[in-house]
Amino acid sequence: MNCKEFESVIHELVSRRVADKTKHLEALKHAGHCLWCALRLDEETKLTESLQGLAGALQGQRAPGRVEEALLQAFRERTLRAPAPRFGLAGKRLWGGLRWGLVFAATVAIACIVILQWPHLRPRSSAPVAQGANNQPLASSEASQAKPHGRPESGALDDSAGELTTDFIPLGTCDDSQCMDEATLVRVTLPADAPLAFGLALDNDYAPEGFVQADVALGSDGVPFAIRFVD
Amino acid sequence: MAGLTEIRDEQLLRMMQAGDEDAFTTLYRRRQGGIYRFVLEISGSAPLAEDVTQEVFMALIRDNRGYDPSRGPLVAYLLGMARHHALRFVKRDRTYVSIGDESSGSGDLVPLSPEDPHSTMSRRETIHSVQQAVLSLPEHYREAVVLCDLNDMSYEDAASVLGCSVGTVRSRLHRGRALLIQKLTGGAKVEAGNEAIDPSRCLA
Repeated sequence: MNCKEFESVIHELVSRRVADKTKHLEALKHAGHCLWCALRLDEETKLTESLQGLAGALQGQRAPGRVEEALLQAFRERTLRAPAPRFGLAGKRLWGGLRWGLVFAATVAIACIVILQWPHLRPRSSAPVAQGANNQPLASSEASQAKPHGRPESGALDDSAGELTTDFIPLGTCDDSQCMDEATLVRVTLPADAPLAFGLALDNDYAPEGFVQADVALGSDGVPFAIRFVD
Repeated sequence: MAGLTEIRDEQLLRMMQAGDEDAFTTLYRRRQGGIYRFVLEISGSAPLAEDVTQEVFMALIRDNRGYDPSRGPLVAYLLGMARHHALRFVKRDRTYVSIGDESSGSGDLVPLSPEDPHSTMSRRETIHSVQQAVLSLPEHYREAVVLCDLNDMSYEDAASVLGCSVGTVRSRLHRGRALLIQKLTGGAKVEAGNEAIDPSRCLA
């Protein structure tokens, strides 16, 4: 080791930061035969001791108690203003996920209720019932108004077929009353629980065979836009 | 709160973020002394040290999301904040100690520890002269000396506090110490940055 190298490690040497023991010993060995470096080591050691003395004198210095009081007060106010869950960061993340899950579940539930209750929520249709393309007559508007909603057993008598039917339940594909003018009725057989999908309560003896009849009103484009159930 | 004393700073910070007052108190009591002394050592002003300590923890309460664990330990982050606030305060309020001006009467700004009954007048004088010498160093050198020599901080952590490289810390520390030796031994004043090493030594 030469003087330049010694100078580069002298601070680590006096503050005992030299990680390499060999280097440490080499530096001491160099100082042992180099007068100049021995003097440098001596003055650096004295400086380190002086600085340590200053650090020791200041060791007990701390911020006054009033600072802690003020900070605690601020912390409490902050916590009260923005209450955070007290179960750690993982819990916080879990709560965040659950919260969004609950929001999603609530949205789905509301959507289901709205869909199921749609026939009851909508104003009763007073659209004139048109003659279908297949010449099968639809229920008259008077008959529709007379029919109680949602209860097949309390439905009105269809003028032409002598059947009890429900009101037409819109499927949401056409809100224009003109659709009914160009409607085509198609009689279909559906599972017995199909009326439930439209919010209609059924009696047990309503569909003893497991099927129900329904008339589906098709628009001129072939898209169904309303349905009624036949008792 | 006794169990909290074993917990690392970073964990205490997370608990504090979740509203745990005990965690905040533990973190404050653990770190406030170091921050207070750091500001005291670089500024020589006890009121400034008090203000900055309070400001650092207030900032932590207000918005504690600025800390990035990958950039160093929390204590380095706190000291970095303290340094930033101290510099801002000093620039804003020139009534604090005038750095580098030994005639400014800053000698009584750093109180000696009252818990030091064995100190003699001579020792007091020595410590006082060291204080003066440290306070008279140019800012960059003073910070390096305070962090590495007075607070025994590693070069890496000091670099994190000062926002510079480890090599820069070593260089500033080396020059700062050389200036201190000159001041304390009454040697001829040298310009900052001048090497005090006689090139002829390199022949040894």
